[in-house]
Amino acid sequence: MDIQERNIRSCADNIVDMVDMDEENFAISSSSAADSAFDAVIGCIEDIIMEEDFQQLQQSFMEKHYLEFDDTDENKLSYTPIFNEYVDLLEKHLEQQLMEKIPGFSMNIFIDLLMQHKDEVPGDIFDMLLTFTDFMAFKEMFLEYRMEKEGRGLDLSQGLVVTSLVSKQTTGSQ
Amino acid sequence: MGLLTILKKMKQKEREMRLLMLGLDNAGKTTILKKFNGEDVSTISPTLGFNIKTVEHKGFKLNIWDVGGQKSLRSYWKNYFESTDGLVWVVDSADRLRLDDCKQELSALLLEERLAGATLLVFANKQDLPGALSKEAIREALALEKIKSHHWCIIGCSAVTGENLLTGVDWLLDDIAARIFTTD
Repeated sequence: MDIQERNIRSCADNIVDMVDMDEENFAISSSSAADSAFDAVIGCIEDIIMEEDFQQLQQSFMEKHYLEFDDTDENKLSYTPIFNEYVDLLEKHLEQQLMEKIPGFSMNIFIDLLMQHKDEVPGDIFDMLLTFTDFMAFKEMFLEYRMEKEGRGLDLSQGLVVTSLVSKQTTGSQ
Repeated sequence: MGLLTILKKMKQKEREMRLLMLGLDNAGKTTILKKFNGEDVSTISPTLGFNIKTVEHKGFKLNIWDVGGQKSLRSYWKNYFESTDGLVWVVDSADRLRLDDCKQELSALLLEERLAGATLLVFANKQDLPGALSKEAIREALALEKIKSHHWCIIGCSAVTGENLLTGVDWLLDDIAARIFTTD
C-alpha cells in the first residue's frame, strides 16, 4: 500500500537528516530537512501503532484488568489509576520504539516540532493517538473486551447474513 | 510529560473545557450533571465513584467530571484535578450543620496547585427547599469574599427544577473563555 511505502522510505531515509543536525538547529529550523524529519517520525508512529507488539501490549493490559470494569454509567474510582497506567504504558512504548527505529531520536525535540507543526499532523493519526488518552474510549474498549471474553458479543453470523441480503456492504471486519 | 498527554493538551485548547464538580456528599452534584444533560433526575443514588458527561454548549465541548463527595472519597479528588478549567463547588444550602465542613473542604481545594488556574463557580443548590439559606448567607458562611486566588461567582440554584443552572454554567464558560481563548 501507498502508506506503507511512504513509511518505509521515511523511516529509513529521512532519519539521516535528523541525526545529522544538531539539536538546536533541529528544534528551531523550518527547513525542509526538519520538515521531512518530522514527517518521518509521524510515519514511524503510524507504523508502531499498527505493529503486532502494540496490539499485544494493549491486549495483555486488558487481560490483566478487564474484570474490574462493569457496564454501568457511573465509573469506579479504581478505573482512574488503571487509565493512568495505560496512558503511561503506551507513551513509554511509543518513545522506546521511536528511539529504536530512529537513531538519536529525542522526544523533547519532537514535541517542540509537534507544537510548531500541529496543523500538519494527519488528522487520522492525531485522532488515533487522542483516543488513547480519552477516558470514555478507554472504558468502552474494556467493556467490549469483557463482553467478548464472556461470550456476550454480537452474534456475528446473523449480522452477516442479514446485511449481505439487504445490501452489498461488507461487514466482514465486524 | 509524554507524547500522548501533550497531544491531548494541544487538542483541548480548541474550544474544549474540563469542568470538575465537587462538594460534600448529598450536595446535588450528580443531579446537576444529569439535569444539565437533560436526563431523568428522579432516582439518583449516592455516587461512590465518578460520572463524566460531555455536553456541547454555546459552541464549546464541556467535559464535566462529577466525583463522589463522601468523606472517605474526598482523598481521591486529587486524581481529577489535572487540566481543570473550571471548578464547580456544589453546596446543599439547607445543610446548615455541615457548612463549616463545606468551607474547610473548599479552602483546602483552593490551595491546590493543580487547580490554581481554574475559575470557581459556587452553586448554592436546593434553593427550592423551605429551609435553604440564601446565596448571600452561603457566600458569607464560606467566606467567599476572601478569595483572591481565583475568579469566583456564587449562584443560587435548584438542581431538581433546573433553575439557574444555565446561568451558572454560562458565567463559568464566559470567564474561562475570556482567560483561555483570547490569549492565543
